[in-house]
Formats: sequence, structure tokens, C-alpha cells
Amino acid sequence: MIDFFMLIFRILIFPGFAFLLLLTLFCDWMERKIEARLQNRVGPMVAGPGGILQPLADFIKLLTKEDITPRAAKKTIFKFAPLVAFTIMVFALCFIPIDGASVLSANGFSGDLIIILAFATVANFLLFLAGWASCNPYGTIGSARVLTQFLGYDIPLFLIALTPAFIAGSLQIANIAAFQSTHLLPFILLAPWAFVLFIITMQAELEKDPFDVPHSESELVGGLETEFTGAKLAFLHLTRDVQVIFGSALVVELFLGGPYGPVFFGASWFWFTLWFVLKLLVVVAITEYITVVFARLRIDQVLSGNWRILLPAAILSLMLTVVLVTWVYPLVV
Amino acid sequence: MTDTKTWARVKSPWVLHFNSGACNGCDIEIVALLTPKYDVERFGVKLEPSPRHADVLLVTGCVTQQCAERLKAIYEQMPQPKFVVAIGACACSGGVFEGNYNVVGGVDKVIPVTAYIPGCPPRPEAILDGVVKLLNALNPPKPKKQPKQAKAPEVAKPEAAVAQAAQGIVEEEKQVAK
Ligand code: SF4
Repeated sequence: MIDFFMLIFRILIFPGFAFLLLLTLFCDWMERKIEARLQNRVGPMVAGPGGILQPLADFIKLLTKEDITPRAAKKTIFKFAPLVAFTIMVFALCFIPIDGASVLSANGFSGDLIIILAFATVANFLLFLAGWASCNPYGTIGSARVLTQFLGYDIPLFLIALTPAFIAGSLQIANIAAFQSTHLLPFILLAPWAFVLFIITMQAELEKDPFDVPHSESELVGGLETEFTGAKLAFLHLTRDVQVIFGSALVVELFLGGPYGPVFFGASWFWFTLWFVLKLLVVVAITEYITVVFARLRIDQVLSGNWRILLPAAILSLMLTVVLVTWVYPLVV
Repeated sequence: MTDTKTWARVKSPWVLHFNSGACNGCDIEIVALLTPKYDVERFGVKLEPSPRHADVLLVTGCVTQQCAERLKAIYEQMPQPKFVVAIGACACSGGVFEGNYNVVGGVDKVIPVTAYIPGCPPRPEAILDGVVKLLNALNPPKPKKQPKQAKAPEVAKPEAAVAQAAQGIVEEEKQVAK
């Protein structure tokens, strides 16, 4: 019985839904603040101390606005795709160890790395469906771009995510993170090239700035979000933010040693959560910095960059890792 | 509950900018609002590309005959609750283009306007002040509900329009109608 309540608590409150939601909103605020500071502005300021409640205000406002469904839209998909995409992203986050264990089980299972990457793909596909169902020209162009982009970038993403898995000899996220903490060597030191490639691919997967062609305001109005209003728009925004958290959490687990770090006193889960959140914020700051500094590429540049540069680089990275793991690292570690 | 709702609405007004035939003077002033010097994101104001996302429609220009239809269409695409701010002497009353053969003259002849910001062009400070006043008007007076575009489109207040036309050139003068 206690176990059951514990599970419910873990799913709904910590480190499950409520915690993830708060983290998402906080990261959204941080992104906006970083972006503003880098552009010599101050960013959100009046909603709460330092504007920290700004994402919450946006979210509530969108929830309370009128919800319009255009006559031409495919009603069912249009209504449910944003919500389902959000649910899938949060579900995928439940497999990531946050306080030393993931939300659903202590250690996950063999192959959960593949599962959560697949979840991310499905969520992206739902976003595509949402835009497609809105039957707006800008929406459809935006979603077609989402599709072309994420089909291309998913392959290097999977290949690069395999690098840490190879070094750790496991496809289980908890094992990969634990391997780094037992050897006191985060993989960012063992395979820095993979870290850089992973960040770049992540940026493309999250449709952040050098790669944000799917919703480039100057060409496509709002991309696939163009027709969405009210609660649906709120969930589309939230899905994007959760995707950012998800990508950064993946980087933390695969390259920065996961939630593990020194435990000074008291409960280990507190320290693990603290380390996890701190590392996550660092990754979010890095991606946001890239977003602000770079200008948008054209869609053809994005695609040729993917197939001509990133995919071969990912394959090379994987081969290099295999060679290193087989012949070199055994000499060192 | 309603308090939270109002709080969220006041703290997060997303604006859409529509140029209905302005000389571009007012538009530049609006763009200036987004620059580091004025940075309206402080107040949670975001410039949105799609009318579906916007809460406040910032209209500049004198509304030409051709634009009137489009302006109306854009307005109708916005979700409730929505507000319209007429920026510049042209948008308030027609301004220097008043009486021209191809000009409707004034946003309020086409769609209901919540706030007028006169000036040719109004300074960014004046626009900011107008928007903030509009938002604060949402807040305190509990009993009487706010002018959520309750006004019928045709009922433009002639005295106010004339008064504004008169002081149209005087910058920094701002007023919130109702
Ligand atoms: S009010 Fe003045 S600056 Fe603004 S659009 Fe009219 S003429 Fe141009």
C-alpha cells in the first residue's frame, strides 16, 4: 500500500509531473532572461520577482482565452495532437533518472535509451500532425519543414547517443549515468567531439535558432502554430519547453554524469536532484547562447548540413568510439 | 479564480501590429518599443506574428478603403478577449489623410477601439503608457465590467475624435478612451 502511494506521489508530484512542470516553467523564464540579457535588454520583469512568473502568466492567459477551431481544420487531430504530444514528452521524461532513480522504477530497463528517443520522435510527429490538421497554408508548410528536418536529424541523434552507450556498454540510461559516476569520468571528457555533435543535433531537433526554419516568423507567420489559439497553443508552447528540458536532460545523463555528484550530508536524493537541475541549467544556458548568437539558416542549408556534414560526422564519431573503446580506453581506465 | 485570470491577462499581453496604410512613422515607433532602450518584454509584451495568438491589436494608419476589409478580417481572427489600440493621429481620426477619397479615416469606423494614443507619431513612451493604462484599466474597478470591445463599431465619439484631431500633433499626449 505504501509502495502504491509512493508511486502515485512520485508520478504526480516529485520527481514527476508537478516537479517537471515547475522546472519547465523555470527554464522557460531562464531562457527568456538569458536571451534578453544577451541582447542588452532586461527581459520579463514585472510578473513576480524578476519576472519569474512570466511563463506561468503566459500559460494561464492562454488557457483562459477563447479556443477557436477553424472550419477547415481536421477537428479531432487538431484538438488532441498538442495535448498528446505534451503527454508523450512528459512520459518520456519519466524514464530519466532525476533523484538517482527515474520516476517509474529505480533503474529503468535495458534499452530505455532507445525508447525515450523514439518517444521524442513520436511527439515531433504529433506536432507535425497538429500543424497539418490546421489546414492553414503557413501551418502546412511549417509542418512539412518539421517533418523533413526531424527525419533527417533523428538519424545522427541516434548515432551520437550510441557513443556513450558504447563506452558504458549499456543501453540503459541509469547504467550509463552510473558508469560515469563510478569511474569519476563524465563522458564529456572521454568523448568531447560527441558532446559537441550532440549539442548541435539537439539544437536542430529542438528547432532552435540556427535551425529554426519550421517556425521562422519572417517567412511562415507562426509555422505550425499559426492557427492555434487558447489552450491548444498553451500546450504547444509547453511541449516545446518540455522538449528543451528533455534534450538537456538527455545531455546531462549521457555526457555530464547524470544526477550523480558528491553527497555532502543528509538524504542523497536531495543532492542528486540538485546536481541534476544545476547541470540541466548549464546545458539550457549553452543551447540558449547558441540560439541567440547564430542567425537562421535556410531550409536547404539545414538539410544539406544534415546529410552532408552531420550524418557522416556522426558515423565517424561512432567508428572512432568503437575503436577507442576496443583498443585504447582499456589501457587508460 | 477571476483574480488569477485578470492577473495573467494583465501580465502577458501579446500584441499584433497591423499597418492599415500608415506613413511608417508610427510603425517605426512601435518597433522602437522592442529595442533594448524601451524593451516592452519587461511587461510581458511579446510581438506575435499570428492574429490567433494575439491579445492586443496595435493598429497604425488611416485605414484605406482596401485595408478596411483586411483589418476587419484580422480582428475577427483574434480570440476573445481582445483589445484594439489605435496608434497615431491617423489611426485615431484619419489625421493628415482625413477626407481623402480612398481613406475611411479612423480605426473606430471599422472595428471597436479600446484605447487611442494620439501623436504624429506618438513617442514610444506614449505608446507604452497607453498600453499599460489599458491593462491597468482591466484591473481595479471590480463592479463594472471592462469595455471588452462592447462598443458597437459605428459609435465613434465625434467630440473625442475632433478633440484628438486637434491635439494630434501634440506629442506625449495620451488618453485612454473609456
Ligand atoms: S500619425 Fe503621423 S506618423 Fe503616424 S502614420 Fe499618420 S502621418 Fe504617419
